[in-house]
Amino acid sequence: MAQKISRLLIAFGSFGLLAMTAIIAWQVFGRFVLDSSPSWTEQASLILMIWYVMFAAAAGVHEGFHIRIALLEEKLGPRARPFVRLAGAIVAVLGLVLCVYGLQLCWLVRGNTVPSLGLSRAVAYVPLPIAGLLMTLFALPQIASGIYPGPAHDAEETL
Amino acid sequence: MELLVLFGALLALLVIGVPVGFALFGSALACFLAMGIPPVVAVQRVASGISVFTLMAIPFFIFAGDLMYRAGIAERLVRVADAAIGRVRGGLGIVDVGASMMFGAVSGSAIASASAIGSTMVPLMKDKGYPADYAVNVTVTAAIVGLLIPPSHNMIIYSAASGIGVSIGDLFLAGVIPGLLTGLMLMVVAWVVAHRRDLPTGVFPGWREFVRATAFAVPGLMTAVIIMGGILSGIFTPTESSAVAVVYTLLVGTLVYRSLGWRGTWEAAGKSVRTAAMVLFIIAAATAFGFCLALLEVPAALGTLIGLMTDNPLITLLIINIMLLALGTFMDMAPLIVITTPIFLPVAMGAGVDPVHFGIIMMLNLGIGLVTPPVGSVLFVGSAVGKLPVTQLVKTIWPFYLTLIAALLLITYVPVLSLWLPGFMGGE
Repeated sequence: MAQKISRLLIAFGSFGLLAMTAIIAWQVFGRFVLDSSPSWTEQASLILMIWYVMFAAAAGVHEGFHIRIALLEEKLGPRARPFVRLAGAIVAVLGLVLCVYGLQLCWLVRGNTVPSLGLSRAVAYVPLPIAGLLMTLFALPQIASGIYPGPAHDAEETL
Repeated sequence: MELLVLFGALLALLVIGVPVGFALFGSALACFLAMGIPPVVAVQRVASGISVFTLMAIPFFIFAGDLMYRAGIAERLVRVADAAIGRVRGGLGIVDVGASMMFGAVSGSAIASASAIGSTMVPLMKDKGYPADYAVNVTVTAAIVGLLIPPSHNMIIYSAASGIGVSIGDLFLAGVIPGLLTGLMLMVVAWVVAHRRDLPTGVFPGWREFVRATAFAVPGLMTAVIIMGGILSGIFTPTESSAVAVVYTLLVGTLVYRSLGWRGTWEAAGKSVRTAAMVLFIIAAATAFGFCLALLEVPAALGTLIGLMTDNPLITLLIINIMLLALGTFMDMAPLIVITTPIFLPVAMGAGVDPVHFGIIMMLNLGIGLVTPPVGSVLFVGSAVGKLPVTQLVKTIWPFYLTLIAALLLITYVPVLSLWLPGFMGGE
């Protein structure tokens, strides 16, 4: 289940990155060829970026691709498990903070509108609470097993 | 007191293995709580940390770098460098530096450079009888040169973090001469080390092959012309240029080199999204952390402290350099730029240092941090590409470290190296 959600989040991100490329390319094209710069492109691609960055960052908790110092595991081996559990619990708590206060933030800014799009500012921030909740859920297996998901520094994944 | 909470929490979280982004967010949160500030402010800082237009260049440059690697542009650059300088003793070491410099000119990310050039050069060098540690050491240190050679997404982060709108175009221009100089110094050292260790020589493939290799590489190298030309002439913003680089690489990869298909593009997008998410999440969290430092008036306090220690600008710069090098060993480049720029830039400017020049100093200084353990993302990439543990790599890397330090001192104390070109082009 977590695997599926995580894959979906990354797929959303890949699509978002391609869409963002297309939007900014359209902005350049519009300015030079059509001689009219569309006003919605920058805001729209920025909001898109916030969405996919937060979602992929949540998937990163599941895949374990966030960069970290693996000092204790290298020195202590299996005896480092309590610390890995603790680290997982901290990520889970921080995810919850992001979720609860992210919701509050969305609520506080709901009246502000994004210039040139006419949308509520809350639209830009709504991925924060969602990603926070997902981070908490994705951190649970690490708390249970005491093993950090994925390799500590896998170069192929962190390219 | 709150400062102790902030740094104590950061250190504790990092040591027990909490990922860097979460550790920054967590320690900022602890500091906010200790100061009685509602946690929603911390989340708001994180949100504002990624709501920055110029930061959109980061996913684009990472994506472009990965596409260039998959399209075989790195391999073609290696062929040009090999045809030109492969014949001397230890020539492949020099080729490695040259190819990394060319890759630096088309891509904006040191990690992309280390993995793209490394995965071509390291197996090639092993094949020709070079020891793996030498191959990896040259590759990772040469990748740092790409941080100075424009484009460079770290310069964009610096410009955003400076808060005074340091021109990205000026920064890009300012990096050119320091980048060429550092690259040349690394080439010399790669050659000297190769002589000492009696590494093999190559053969000159002939002018025909050289011209052929160059012709094949030209469409790839054109990316550099498009990016720099576009930014300098004011046709695109730096963010737009990075998106144009993606589109251009896609066109070259699919239509000219025909090595890039839907599958490769989709895989590259997935990989780039992961890297971009990691980097940008850290930047967002670092923004909250930096906000704490500003609230606690750390920049002013540190400025006063350094002012008490010395009023000599040369020594001030030395102190800043040493502090940044120390921080760079255990923190990644992007969060350090976000956190330390607001602290050190005012101090440096107070000592009469130009903000563009200071940006170049930071790039090389924090770049060195990318190849030093315990946390050095470029060194980790090299270790994975060369299939050698980091502990073994660092045994023979010291000539290259010393070269980078020497280059750092030169760039720090000879401002004209950085400032001449932007001035000449009328940027300042």
